[in-house]
Amino acid sequence: MSAVDIPVPRAARLTVGTKAALITALVGALCLALEPVAPWLGAWPKAWVLPATDWVGTVMTAFLAWFKPVARLFSAVMVYPMDAANWILNATPWPLVIGIVTALGWYLGGAAMAALGLGGLGFVLASGYWHEGMNTLALVAVSVPLALLVGGAIGILANEVPRIRAAVQAVLDIMQTVPTFAYLTPLLALFGFGPVVGLIASAIYAAPPMARNVMLGLERVEAEVKEAAIMSGGTRMQQLFQVEIPSASRQIMVGFNQCLMAALSMVIIAAVIGGFNDIGWEVLLTMRKAQFGAALLAGMVIVAFAVIIDRMSAVLATERKRHDIRVVWGLLGLALAFTLVFWTRLPAASELTLLDPVAVSLDQGLTRFTQANGAALDALKNNTLYYVLLPLRIGLDQAVLPFTWGFSWTPQMSGALFALGAVLALGMAWAGRPTAGLTALIGLGMIETGITNLPWPFVLTGAAALGYVAGGRRLALMVVILLGTILVSGLWDRALLSLYLCGASVFACAVLGGAIGVASAVWSPVWGVVRPICDMLQTIPLFVFLIPVLMVFQIGEFSAFLAICAYAIVPMIRYTRHGLVDTPDEMMEAAISSGATDWQILRDVRAPYAAPTILLGLNQTILYAFSMLVIAALIGTTGLGQSIYLALGQADVGLGISAGAAMAILALIADRLVQGFAEERRKALGL
Amino acid sequence: MTEATTPAITCQNLWQVFGPGANDALVEALARSGGDAEAAAAELRGKGLIPAVQDASFEVREGELFVIMGLSGSGKSTLIRCISQLLPGTGGEIRIEGDNVVGASKQKLTDLRRRKLGMVFQHFGLFPHMTVAENVAYPLKVQGVGRKERRARAQEVISLVGLDGREDSFPRQLSGGQRQRVGIARSLAVNPDIWFLDEPFSALDPLIRRQLQDEFLRIQATLKKSIVFITHDIAEALKLADRIAIMRDGRIVQIGTPTEIVLNPVDDYVREFSKDVAKGRHAKVASVMRTGAEEQGPDDPGLTTGMTLDTALARCMQLYQPVPVRDASGAIVGTVQPSDLAAALQVDDT
Repeated sequence: MSAVDIPVPRAARLTVGTKAALITALVGALCLALEPVAPWLGAWPKAWVLPATDWVGTVMTAFLAWFKPVARLFSAVMVYPMDAANWILNATPWPLVIGIVTALGWYLGGAAMAALGLGGLGFVLASGYWHEGMNTLALVAVSVPLALLVGGAIGILANEVPRIRAAVQAVLDIMQTVPTFAYLTPLLALFGFGPVVGLIASAIYAAPPMARNVMLGLERVEAEVKEAAIMSGGTRMQQLFQVEIPSASRQIMVGFNQCLMAALSMVIIAAVIGGFNDIGWEVLLTMRKAQFGAALLAGMVIVAFAVIIDRMSAVLATERKRHDIRVVWGLLGLALAFTLVFWTRLPAASELTLLDPVAVSLDQGLTRFTQANGAALDALKNNTLYYVLLPLRIGLDQAVLPFTWGFSWTPQMSGALFALGAVLALGMAWAGRPTAGLTALIGLGMIETGITNLPWPFVLTGAAALGYVAGGRRLALMVVILLGTILVSGLWDRALLSLYLCGASVFACAVLGGAIGVASAVWSPVWGVVRPICDMLQTIPLFVFLIPVLMVFQIGEFSAFLAICAYAIVPMIRYTRHGLVDTPDEMMEAAISSGATDWQILRDVRAPYAAPTILLGLNQTILYAFSMLVIAALIGTTGLGQSIYLALGQADVGLGISAGAAMAILALIADRLVQGFAEERRKALGL
Repeated sequence: MTEATTPAITCQNLWQVFGPGANDALVEALARSGGDAEAAAAELRGKGLIPAVQDASFEVREGELFVIMGLSGSGKSTLIRCISQLLPGTGGEIRIEGDNVVGASKQKLTDLRRRKLGMVFQHFGLFPHMTVAENVAYPLKVQGVGRKERRARAQEVISLVGLDGREDSFPRQLSGGQRQRVGIARSLAVNPDIWFLDEPFSALDPLIRRQLQDEFLRIQATLKKSIVFITHDIAEALKLADRIAIMRDGRIVQIGTPTEIVLNPVDDYVREFSKDVAKGRHAKVASVMRTGAEEQGPDDPGLTTGMTLDTALARCMQLYQPVPVRDASGAIVGTVQPSDLAAALQVDDT
C-alpha cells in the first residue's frame, strides 16, 4: 500500500457548513457552561450599554429643529391641495361619485370593472362610512401624485446617471425594510400633529415602488429600440420621453399600481396619529371601544377601496381591450340626471345606516360564538401559548411549570435533553450528515434556553456562521457589525423578543404555507380555491388583519401571532407553488420517461429545481412578518414593535428611530442571509 | 482628392475595447507592441479587457454594398455600432464622407443621423407604442417636420416596402417579415446616403428571408445607397455583396469580391465558409479566363465575362478546345479552356 491510500483525516473533510455549525455549537455550549461564573456571557450587562438611543434623539432633534421651518412651510402649503381634494370628494353628491367611478371602471375594464366600482362604492355608501372613506381617499389622492413625481424622478435620474444607480438601489432597499411606524415619529416632530404627517408618510412610503419600477422598466427596454431612437436622430430628451418611457409603460404602470396600494396602506396606518376623521381612525376607535361589528364593517370599507383601486389600476399594466366610450358618457349622464332629479329627496350619505343592523347582529353573533365556544377557543389559545410560544420565548427550563405542564423542569432534564442532542448529532454524523446533526443539537439547545435568553456571543457566532455559509466573509462581517450595533445600543432584549415572535410566525408560515403551496402545485382544484384567497390577503391593507383576530382572541401575543401568520403566509404559498409548477416540461418529460412516479418526480426533480424560488418566497415571508410585527404592536406584542409604537405616542424621536433602525437591521440581515442561500442554490443549478 | 472619389465610409485602424480603463490600456498596449495589432490584443486580453474590434481598416465606396460577415462573437455587430457611433470607438478613425466622427460632439452626431444615416436592426427595434406610420415618421418627427409632411413622406416609404394598408397597425399585429419592412421603411424615411443593416434578415424564416433579400436588391437598385450590411450567412453575403469583409475574433481576415472570397480564400477559416457554397453559382467566367486571343478551337458557345461558371460549363459540356469569351459589348477579350471551368468547380477535400 502506498501513502496515497492513507485515509484522509475526518476533520479535513468537514464542509464549510459543518465547520460553521460546529463552531456555533461549541460557542453555545461554552456560554451555557460558563454562564454561572461569568454572567456577562448570558445577558449583555447594563453597564456596557451605550446611550445610543439618547444620542440619536439629540442629534435628530437638533437636525429636525433646523429643518423644521421648511417642513412647517411645506405643511402649510400642503393644506391647500388637501382641503381641495377633501372638499371636492365630500361635496360632490354621492350618486355622481359612484357614477364617475363606475364609468371609469367601464373605461378601464368593461362590465366587470364597472360592476366592481358600483358594488364597492355602493357598499361604502350603505355602511354609513361614506365621508370617512372620502377623507381617506382625499389623502391618497394628494399623496399619490407626490409619490409618483418623486419616485418617477428618482427612477429616471438613476437611469440617466449610472454612477448613482447602486446607491439609489441600496437606499430603496433600506426604505423597504424600515417599518412603517418608524417613519411616523420623526415626521410627527417635523410636521406637527395633523393629516399632513399621514400625507407625507404615505408619499415617502409609496415613492420607492414607483422608483423601482421606473428603473426596471427603463432598463428592460430592448437595446435595439433604444438604438433605433438614437439612430433616428433624437436628442436624449426625445429618446427618453418619446421612446423609452412609453416603451416601459407596462412596468411603470405596475409601479403606479404598487404606489397606489402602498399609499392607501400607509394612509390607514397613519390614522394612529389621529386628528383626522378618516376610515382608519374609525377602525381604531371602534376597536378600542370593543365594537367589533362596527370595526369589521369599517375594515370592509377599507378592503372595498383597496380592491377597487388595485384591480382598476392593475388593468393599466395589462394589454387592455378598448371599451365603447359611449357607455362612459351614458353612465356619466345617467349619474348626473339621477343626481339632478332625486338629489333633494335622497338621504345625505352620512345618514345612511343600512348596514348598522348587520354590525349589531355581527356583534351579537360574535358574543354568542365566543360564549358558546369560549372553552375551545381558550384551549386553542392557551395550548399554543403554553406549549409552543412560551417555551420558544423563555425556554423549556422556565416555561415548564407544574401548573401548565404538570411538572417542573429540573437541571437533570436539561442534561438529558442535551445528551439526547449530542447522541443525535453523533448518530447523524456517523450516517454522513454531520451538519444536519449539529443543527439539530443547536435547535434543541435553543428550545431549552429560549430565544430571548440566548447568550449574545452565541447569537453573534450563529448569525456570523450563517452569513459565512450564505455569502462569505463580507456578509458574515456585515451581520456581526449590524447585530453588534443593536447589542451595544441597549435594544438587544427587545430585538430578541421581536426575533422570537417573527421566527415563530415565519416557521408556522413556512410549514403551513409550504404545505398549501405543494398541494396547490400538485392538485389544481386546490389552487382554484387558494388563489383568490391569496389575492385577497395581498390586497387587504395590513391594518385590517388585526380586526378578526382581535374579535376572537382579544389582545395578546397569540392574536399578534395569528395576524402575522395570516399576512405573511401568502408569499410562501405563491412562491412554493410557482417554483414547483415552473419546472421545465423537458425535465418533467425526462423524469416520466425514466419511469419515475409522481412522488419521485416531486421529490427528486421538482423540489430541487424549485428550491431557489421557494427560498425567495421564504425571504418575502420574513420581510412581510417584520412589517406586520410593527403593526401588531397595536394589539399587544412586546419587543421592538412596541417600542416604535410607544415612541410614536410619546413623540420620542430617538427611541422611534433607533428601534426602527434595529428592526430594519434584523429584516436586512434576514433578507441578505436568505438571498445568499437562494443565490447559492441558483448557482448550483446553473440558473 | 476630388468629391467623386471620396469614399462614403473610411475606417482606419479602428479599435473597440470593452472594460474599465479601455482607452488608456489600448494606447499603452499599442505603444508597447509598436503597432502590432495581434500583440496588443493579446496584452489587452491578459488585462481582462475585451478587444471586440481590432485594428479594422476598410473603405466603403459610394453606392457600394459592403457586407461584413462573421460568426457570432466575431465582432461584426460591434463594428457596425462603432461606425454608426452607437459605440464610441476606442481608437482609430471613422470618416463618413471624409469627416472624422470619432469623438465628434453629440450635436454633430445627432445632426449627422438626422440627415445622412439610416439603420435597420436584427430584431427590428420598432417602437411598440407607435403605429407603423408613426414608427416610420419618427425620424422626421424628432427634426420637427410638420405632421402632414411627415405623414406624406412616411406613406412614400411604406409604399416602397410594400406595406400599403398597414399604416395604422401596431408592431405587435404584424408578422416578422412585415415588421422588418417597417424597420427598413423607417431607416429610409430621411432618405439617408448611408445605410446600416445589422443582420436584417437573420431573424426571419428562410422563405421570407429570400423574398426580402430580393426586394432589398430591388430597392437598392433604384436608391443606390452606400451600405454596410452585417450577416453571418455566407450565402446571403455572396448573393448581395459588391465586396465582403470576413471577420474572425475581432479582426478582418479578408476583404474581397464574392468571387475572390470563393476562389481565393486567404486561410482555412475563410475556406471553411466557402466549402459548402456552390462555387459555380457565384464565380464568374472572368475569374478563369486567359486574356489575349491565343489559339482557339472551332467552337463558339457564346461565353461572356459576367457569366457564372455553372452556365458556362453547361454550354461547354461537349467541348475540349479553348473557346472565346466576349465582354458586354461583344468584343472578344480572352479564352477559356473548358477543363479549367470544371477544375474551378472542384470542391476542396481538405
